[in-house]
Amino acid sequence: MNKLWIVTFETFLRQVKSWGFVALIIGPFIIFGISIGAGYMSASGASHSDDIAVFGQSELKQAFVKQNKDDIDTSIKSVKSAKKKIKDNKLSGYLILETNNNQVSATYHGSNSMSNSLKNKLTIFTSTVQQQLNYSTAQLSATQAKSLQQQPKFKEVITKKTGTDNLAKMISFWIMVILVYTILVTYTSITAQEIASEKGTKIMEVIFSSTTATKYFIGKVLGVMMVIVTQILIYVIGGWGMFSFAQHSSLTKTALAQNKDLISAVLHNLLSINLVYLLLGVVIYTILAALCGALVAKSEDASKAAQPVTMLSMLAFFVTFPFQNNMDALIVKILSYVPFFSSYFMPMRVINGDASPIEMAISLLILIATIFLMAYYIGKIYQGLMLQTDDSSFWKRLKRGIAYNR
Amino acid sequence: MLSVQHVSKSFGNLKALDDINFTIPNGHILGLIGQNGAGKSTTFHSILNFLQYDGKITWQDKPITESVFDQIGYLPEERSLMPKLTVEQQIVYLARLKNKSAKEIRPQIDTWLRKFAVKGTKKDKIKSLSKGNQQKVQLICTLIHNPKLIILDEPFSGLDPVNSDLLKQAIIDARDNGASIIFSSHDMENVEEVCDSLVMLRNGQIVLDGTVGDVRDTFGKTRLFVTTDWTADKLSELPHVVSVTQREKNRYLLDLDDESAGKDIFDELTHGQYIEEFSQQPPTLNEIFRMKAGDRNE
Repeated sequence: MNKLWIVTFETFLRQVKSWGFVALIIGPFIIFGISIGAGYMSASGASHSDDIAVFGQSELKQAFVKQNKDDIDTSIKSVKSAKKKIKDNKLSGYLILETNNNQVSATYHGSNSMSNSLKNKLTIFTSTVQQQLNYSTAQLSATQAKSLQQQPKFKEVITKKTGTDNLAKMISFWIMVILVYTILVTYTSITAQEIASEKGTKIMEVIFSSTTATKYFIGKVLGVMMVIVTQILIYVIGGWGMFSFAQHSSLTKTALAQNKDLISAVLHNLLSINLVYLLLGVVIYTILAALCGALVAKSEDASKAAQPVTMLSMLAFFVTFPFQNNMDALIVKILSYVPFFSSYFMPMRVINGDASPIEMAISLLILIATIFLMAYYIGKIYQGLMLQTDDSSFWKRLKRGIAYNR
Repeated sequence: MLSVQHVSKSFGNLKALDDINFTIPNGHILGLIGQNGAGKSTTFHSILNFLQYDGKITWQDKPITESVFDQIGYLPEERSLMPKLTVEQQIVYLARLKNKSAKEIRPQIDTWLRKFAVKGTKKDKIKSLSKGNQQKVQLICTLIHNPKLIILDEPFSGLDPVNSDLLKQAIIDARDNGASIIFSSHDMENVEEVCDSLVMLRNGQIVLDGTVGDVRDTFGKTRLFVTTDWTADKLSELPHVVSVTQREKNRYLLDLDDESAGKDIFDELTHGQYIEEFSQQPPTLNEIFRMKAGDRNE
């Protein structure tokens, strides 16, 4: 167990200390940072041209500003200066809030119509103030006032798939398959090259005189797995951090609030059993990649080693395309049980909501059993595959590798 | 003690090892010699369990499985390390695979680097070292965990005489420390100098086995060095002389077909007079190697 851990940790450290891994990790964050930075610069350059100024009765103005700080430019103190800013395209408009004979009035002056979002907020605000004024004028008792505040109940019971639901599924589908494909291609390539670079080298003889080939093989695969888990963890934590930031950033919070249901549905689809499928998918492809790495003729062929696994992953990836709008198809159901394909197709069914827990359990069981059987068998023939160095055909190498220790 | 009993191994129709038998007691060095393809590496691979074979190989009366891997130090024929690691990382990694802790190994690294006169520091990357120094680092990796069974495949190849002497001393130190050592070499001088016994393989079979002295003695003292004013033609007419080779002016090497002929030749050459050199010796290991390897073509 100790030696298995040593191999695992050494493989993990070697990978995470490489520049390739650092680039892989920080790449998306840099892109996100650049996007946010560019958005911020652009927004700063526009000098709050979407903001409005508010004038009028002091109490009303203060109450409204307090509720809508992000939409109001409080630095503008006069109508004259507001008009100048509008002319310079640095202000969207200005609002005058007044009460006259218990009548609340709001007048907006601008080059364009007030945004719907702000208009809604203004309507709610003025209605509330008007209502309070009405109660006060009518001199109602507390009970009377309370009964007048009674609102009708509105409840939605949705049985048909809504537009948001379908959109969420579509977005989840694309994020999921692209995520699975990208991670698989990246790590199958890393694994195959890692193994192939050791192929036929005498260091393998030294290592096999210290530990068993099975332990070494499983240690290697676990090492790569740890790298993948590290990457996923960094992405999840980093993603959560960016999401939190976006929720509070003036640039994005409105968009996030407007699409709250959609985002919540997508996150729910992604952060589910689908993550298990992603992880197990990477495990099974990694084991196959390790076998391919061990089957190259010599270490110089390391770059070619991952090709068969990449092709298989690409095949599974492209087969998903025709079903993006037809996730109920029979072929999707069948492929959701087939190892190497189930990592793409079962998440599709989960997103579509047509996979029962028993179906998911059966599919997972098949996948896990295949992983164990593959790891056991490849671990057994691994020494033979790694120690043979003859430059013959792929099949001959496989045959000789299997027969090497017989 | 390493015991190799009736070990045979075939690759298809090729019999790589044919009923090999030898033992290496604790504190003993055995040299495994033979031409390329004789079966030396296959013997090592069988001992290390890289191959399945017929017969029995035991170390301290136990089969060689993972439980005894920690007691083995193995240097393969071709050198190979992990180029991106530092010297220290490489040594510690391989030592940890022998169940030694990094804490235990790290303080010894400088001493070993000095012992093998490695040009470089433990912080240098393996790929930055010269080939010779990489080879020395690999030797350190083989020996630093104080193995009790040491298997060295061509350890002297590529080493200059000074570094060969360092390695010889390290092998002798390990032997004196109780290790059983087996190494292959094409350099018979090293074998003669370091080994307590030797085994020669030819076509997968043992053709010579015993201590260096015993092996040489079995060939008899059939090499006669003489310094005389006799001519080569005259010397070749002497009884039991198979061939005469002039080594220097008046110095000849006579190959005899019977070592007992030496006394008669001595009498004939000296007639009771002074002679500068008359030395009757068994053949060198090199000559025995050539003879035995030559038998292949007979």
